[in-house]
Amino acid sequence: MSLKDQAAIVGYGQLPFSKDIGKPEHVTALEAAKIALDDAGLVPADIDGMVKWSIQVTSENVIARNLGVPNLRFFGEVGYGGGGGCGTVAHAAAAIASGLARCVLIYRSRNRGSGGRPWAGTSRERDQSQAEGNETSFFAPYGFVRPVDQVAMFTRRFLHERGYTTTHLGWIAVACRTHAMNNPMAMMRKPMTLADHAASRLISDPLRLFDNCLETDGASAVIVCRADMAKDLKQKPAYVIGASQGMGPRNFTMNNFFKEPLLESPGAYAARDVWQMADVRPQDVDVAQLYDAFTPLVLASLEEYGFCAPGEAGAFVENGGLELGGRLPCNTSGGSLSEGYVHGINLIIEATRQIRGVSCNQVPNAKLSLCTSGNMVPTGALLLRGD
Amino acid sequence: MAETHEEFERRTGGYEWIPYWAAARQRELRFQRCTDCGQWRFPPGPMCPSCLSLASEWAPASGKAHLVSWVVVHPPVLPAWKERVPFVVVLVECEEGVRTMGNVLDATADDLRMDMPMQVDFAPSIDGDLVPQWRVAAG
Repeated sequence: MSLKDQAAIVGYGQLPFSKDIGKPEHVTALEAAKIALDDAGLVPADIDGMVKWSIQVTSENVIARNLGVPNLRFFGEVGYGGGGGCGTVAHAAAAIASGLARCVLIYRSRNRGSGGRPWAGTSRERDQSQAEGNETSFFAPYGFVRPVDQVAMFTRRFLHERGYTTTHLGWIAVACRTHAMNNPMAMMRKPMTLADHAASRLISDPLRLFDNCLETDGASAVIVCRADMAKDLKQKPAYVIGASQGMGPRNFTMNNFFKEPLLESPGAYAARDVWQMADVRPQDVDVAQLYDAFTPLVLASLEEYGFCAPGEAGAFVENGGLELGGRLPCNTSGGSLSEGYVHGINLIIEATRQIRGVSCNQVPNAKLSLCTSGNMVPTGALLLRGD
Repeated sequence: MAETHEEFERRTGGYEWIPYWAAARQRELRFQRCTDCGQWRFPPGPMCPSCLSLASEWAPASGKAHLVSWVVVHPPVLPAWKERVPFVVVLVECEEGVRTMGNVLDATADDLRMDMPMQVDFAPSIDGDLVPQWRVAAG
């Protein structure tokens, strides 16, 4: 048995991204869920499963009792923050394929713009990956605690070994911004040039401000339901033809520097499995949402998902390679870098929009849509197809 | 107010890391090693992933390493580090085959080159604990 074609994304809801949404996370999660239900043409009684990020503070019973969901037959969660996004859809599809659920609500609400920073200990969020060993901060005595530092440590070696430059990172930031300029929901809509990227202040050399995603308040929800029910609902279904998770050997959350090969990410494992399940190839993909909490993660994903060979991702992203009309249109809503950063749920929604044909940067006649999750941590991938 | 044991563990990696920091206070670099199969293991953990043994020791390391990567940290940083930015953090691979991190002593980012030899030394971290640090190896 495979998950392929067993389930579809049939609804999504998203509140506007902002620096301060002005409401608690459980309220915005409910609002996003309501929008998603309306979008799908479903009512709360149709929902019988939920999947959340483990780092999400609002629990399923808060959502279920306030929405008036009579019973949840399936509920689960996926860890590792931004690595968890595609995994939530994989879990939903697995529950549907196995008969544990018919219709699953996925939600992520996060006040990261107005709220605290996890690395500074000022957030209520706590992931299960921090339960033992607190591996995201074992080098705290050296002032090494921020996600940007952990990614920058990977990046310097990665650029060195592959022959990439920080200008290649700039091309990724510019592509996301160019897409965001057409997206009324995006937080950052001012034009950005390579020179703007290069002039932005250093945060963790070699990474600059514009290599970083946005500190965002946001709330989004996605509804996954049985494929045979999906075709009778309001929207064109985005069928899940591949969904995977991957961790790779000897993984440490964010500080993933202690395995071989050093530069291989969990994305390599999620990639292998998602292509195999869907039985398609990278060159079949029309549009991709590659997880972009930081620009170098996109370069690594282009290699690991097989869009180019190691060492060729720099040339791939140059001269608008990731923009609409380019080699592979990527992060077409502006992504985490310019639309908003909510642990990648907006990437899942944008991957779905492309299948529906309603993106602000629509790839004409897009039939196959890839979405990936954070590859500095245990990750996942998702392939959606129209019909 | 003195830091509790729990607070120390939480900010320095947890239970398994205590011998690493304790050795450093004695100006020693030690890594965990399986006493059954002899495999070096760092960051530390309760079980040897090669032979599943729960027995381990903290064996002295040579302190010789090479530079794998580095970052230069700029603001925003935690309040305790505000006066020190920008500062360098290095990732080194030790002769024993394990990797670890530290700040650099008597060098700036401009002095660093990929794969250059590095040597352990010990200097106080921001909270006063003597911790492993790295300097460019002479010659």
